[in-house]
Amino acid sequence: MEINIEQLLGTKVCDIDGNDVGRIEEFRVERDGKSCLVDAYLIGASALIQRLSAWTLVRPIERFLNARKIYTIYRVPWQDMDLTDPRHPRLRVRKRDLRHAK
Amino acid sequence: MDLVRDVLDKRLMDREDCEMGRVDGLVMRIGENSQPRITHIEIGGRTLWMRLHPGIAKLAATLARRWGPKRTTTVRIPWSHVVATGKELKLDVEARETGAIDWEIWIARHIIERIPGGGHEEEE
Amino acid sequence: MKKFLQIALGIVTSVGGFLEIGSVATAAQAGASFGYKLLWAIFIGTICLIFLVEMSGRFSAVSKHTIVDAMRERFGFPFFSIVLLGMVLVAFMVLVAELGGIGLSLQILTGIGFPWWAIPVSFVVWLLMWKGTFGLIENGVSLLGLVTICFVVAAVKLNPDWHGAARGLLPSLEGDQKAKYGFIAVSILGATISPYLMYFYSSGAIEDEWDVSYIPINRIIAVFGMSFGGVLSMGVLVTSALAIQPNGIDIDKFEQVALLMTTALPRWGFYLFAVSMLVACLGAALEISLAISYFFAQGFGWNWSESLTPSKDARFCFTYTVIILVAAIPLLLHADPIKVTMISMALTAATLPLAIVPFLFLMNDPIYLGEHRNGWISNSVVGIVILISFVLAVISIPLQIIGG
Repeated sequence: MEINIEQLLGTKVCDIDGNDVGRIEEFRVERDGKSCLVDAYLIGASALIQRLSAWTLVRPIERFLNARKIYTIYRVPWQDMDLTDPRHPRLRVRKRDLRHAK
Repeated sequence: MDLVRDVLDKRLMDREDCEMGRVDGLVMRIGENSQPRITHIEIGGRTLWMRLHPGIAKLAATLARRWGPKRTTTVRIPWSHVVATGKELKLDVEARETGAIDWEIWIARHIIERIPGGGHEEEE
Repeated sequence: MKKFLQIALGIVTSVGGFLEIGSVATAAQAGASFGYKLLWAIFIGTICLIFLVEMSGRFSAVSKHTIVDAMRERFGFPFFSIVLLGMVLVAFMVLVAELGGIGLSLQILTGIGFPWWAIPVSFVVWLLMWKGTFGLIENGVSLLGLVTICFVVAAVKLNPDWHGAARGLLPSLEGDQKAKYGFIAVSILGATISPYLMYFYSSGAIEDEWDVSYIPINRIIAVFGMSFGGVLSMGVLVTSALAIQPNGIDIDKFEQVALLMTTALPRWGFYLFAVSMLVACLGAALEISLAISYFFAQGFGWNWSESLTPSKDARFCFTYTVIILVAAIPLLLHADPIKVTMISMALTAATLPLAIVPFLFLMNDPIYLGEHRNGWISNSVVGIVILISFVLAVISIPLQIIGG
């Protein structure tokens, strides 16, 4: 299946129990010669900023704030992400088992 | 490397350092149990307008059917052609052959060159 | 020696290119209605502009990207398109006002109404863009703009009350006519702090191939060039306060602004005024057309450079051709350039946050600027001024529409 990653940006992600985790903010990849493999997804989570994120205007600024580590970002390895429905990505693990991104 | 920070929306240069547009989209192929991989860079057209709203993409497609270079598919460049990343992405292709600058050539030939002083796009 | 010449040229072209119909109309209105009381708006606006221009030049010199490049790359296409829409709409209105200003100058010189001049003026502006290079526009037209120094000459000739003027540099709240006072203050801020200048300077730094070594030069040009330019604006306000306020005239016609000069310099005043406005508006029209086209070209990744033959950057040239053509239409339909000016200046101030907030983020970005990031002073000054203009705009524009 082919997905355009820019369409995935900002999509809400739920964990395996259906709990809100956050929105897809970034795709971490490794370059291997001529190919490019997706290693992990970065999910940004913050109740307040997430509510503000509904506005397109604020979302990119929110992404910018990521770099400042002003709120939580989770790192989800590619194996733990289920993209069979690209509009409703689901994790294969629980929210509490997630690791924080560096 | 991070895709959104380091690749998406960056400028593209061909092997002769000509402007090719920007990375407007990236195609990811997902398998049942295999690691997802980035297969293509997409430039312009539908991909770009879809990032705003599907309605806008439809409108752009209708306008493009009536006017401009006759192109039916979005410009797709295999990721394997990426030579270097950094401030811009360098590709191992020639801009003309990819179709990335079809609009530039069309406007140059049909409008700009018809005005005195416009010059010729082929000139070097 | 070479750097000294570049600094001198930079300052001189900044001064020559400073005034345009917006700054003249708003300063003239301010002087006519409120005497020296609004000098602080020009003062604060100029300070903010110094910081913004310095930051624009520094950003491009260090990162080798234009502000628009960086805005698309850091914030993504959807955010970029919102800023594009806002900036282009407002800049377009200002362009209409500038073309109207050239038309009005020709009207008072020849007696032929400005709608008749709409097409010839647009054509000349387009031709200069088509045939000219960046150097011609940046330097040539701006040097001609030095004729606007006549406004300061006029101000001095009228023997202003220097103490009164100095008091005007401190912000004060006007008693009656608060809505009008606020509206003119907002318009002055919008006329002085024009976002299109940032995009123009940033692209200019790339066209002129600036690098890190140009940072000190950039700073000097920004400080002195914009300061002297601000003095010109103040000159217009002071002259208006002396020549027009005593007569109790409200300025809403271009011909009335000419009174500024004819009172001070009876013999040459009229012609100086017309020629000054013509050159000033021409320079601004060229800069705005370039700025709008840069916005599209850089944002979408097209070839762009004012110095290339048009066929080498076809989409860029097509953009400015269309813009200039369409800008002539409102004037053909008899739109009043002074009214368009006042509205577009107020709208500029109201939409400043849209341009400046992303810019402030970029100026603090280590990837683009490394160790040359903004200090807290730059961030604070710009942040505060933007807040002031936004608050004022939110209050005054509705009040002026209801009251005026």
